[in-house]
Amino acid sequence: MWLMDFLPNWIFHAILIVGVLGLISSFILNFIPSFKLYHLPIQVLSVLLIAVGVWFQGAMSNQAEWEAKVAEMQVKVAEAEAKSQEENVKIITKTVKKLELVRTKGQDIINYVDREVVKDREVVKFVENCPIPQIIINTHNAAALNQPIEANK
Amino acid sequence: MKLIKLLVISSILLITGCATTVPVTAKFPDAPILILEKCPQLKKIDGENVSIVDFTKTVTLNYTTYYECAVKNDAWIEWYQIQKKIFEEIKGD
Repeated sequence: MWLMDFLPNWIFHAILIVGVLGLISSFILNFIPSFKLYHLPIQVLSVLLIAVGVWFQGAMSNQAEWEAKVAEMQVKVAEAEAKSQEENVKIITKTVKKLELVRTKGQDIINYVDREVVKDREVVKFVENCPIPQIIINTHNAAALNQPIEANK
Repeated sequence: MKLIKLLVISSILLITGCATTVPVTAKFPDAPILILEKCPQLKKIDGENVSIVDFTKTVTLNYTTYYECAVKNDAWIEWYQIQKKIFEEIKGD
C-alpha cells in the first residue's frame, strides 16, 4: 500500500496510541466541569483515530505477511532456477554422449561396408552385374524426402 | 456535508490498502540449443549407375540421422517433463 511505503510505521502506532490516550482523557475530562465542553469532540476524534490506527495495524501485519511470502517465493524461484540449470547440464551431457554413440555406431557400419562388404565375393559379383534399378532409387529417394513417388521419377 | 466529504476521502484512502500485488514471477526456462536443432533432411541417392554398396551406405547414413533425431527428440521430452515438474513445484506450494 502506497501510504505505508510513504510514511514510517511509527506514525501508525502513534495514531493508535494517541487515539487510546484521547479516549481515556475524554472520560477523565468528563469529570472536570470546565473541560466538559470538549468531552464529546475529543471522544469522537479519539474513536476515529483508534479505528484508523487499528486498520493500519492490520494493514501493517498483512504487509509483513506478504513481504515474507514474497521473500519465500524469491528463494523458491532462485532454487528452481538453479535446479533447472543443473538438470539442463545433465540432459545436455547425456544427449551429447548418446549422439556420439549413435554417430560412432553409424560410422562403424559405413567403415565396415568400405572395409569388408566391398571385398565380399558375392557383393563384388552383384556390383559388376546388377546396378540398382532406377525405380528402386526413385522409391528410396521418395521415402527419404517423404515425397510422393511421382515427384522423384 | 463536511463530514460526508471527510468520510468519502477517508474511505478512498482506506480502500487503497486492497491494491496489493506480488512482484515475484517464475519464468519458464529456455531449452538448450542442442535439442532445439531441427532434424536434418535424409540423404537421397544421386546418379544412375548406383551400386548396392553406395545404396547401403546412404541407407546407413539415413538410419544414423534418424537415430540422432530420435535422441534429440527424447531429450526434448525429458527436458520438458523435468522443467514442467520444477515449475509446478513452485506454483503448487
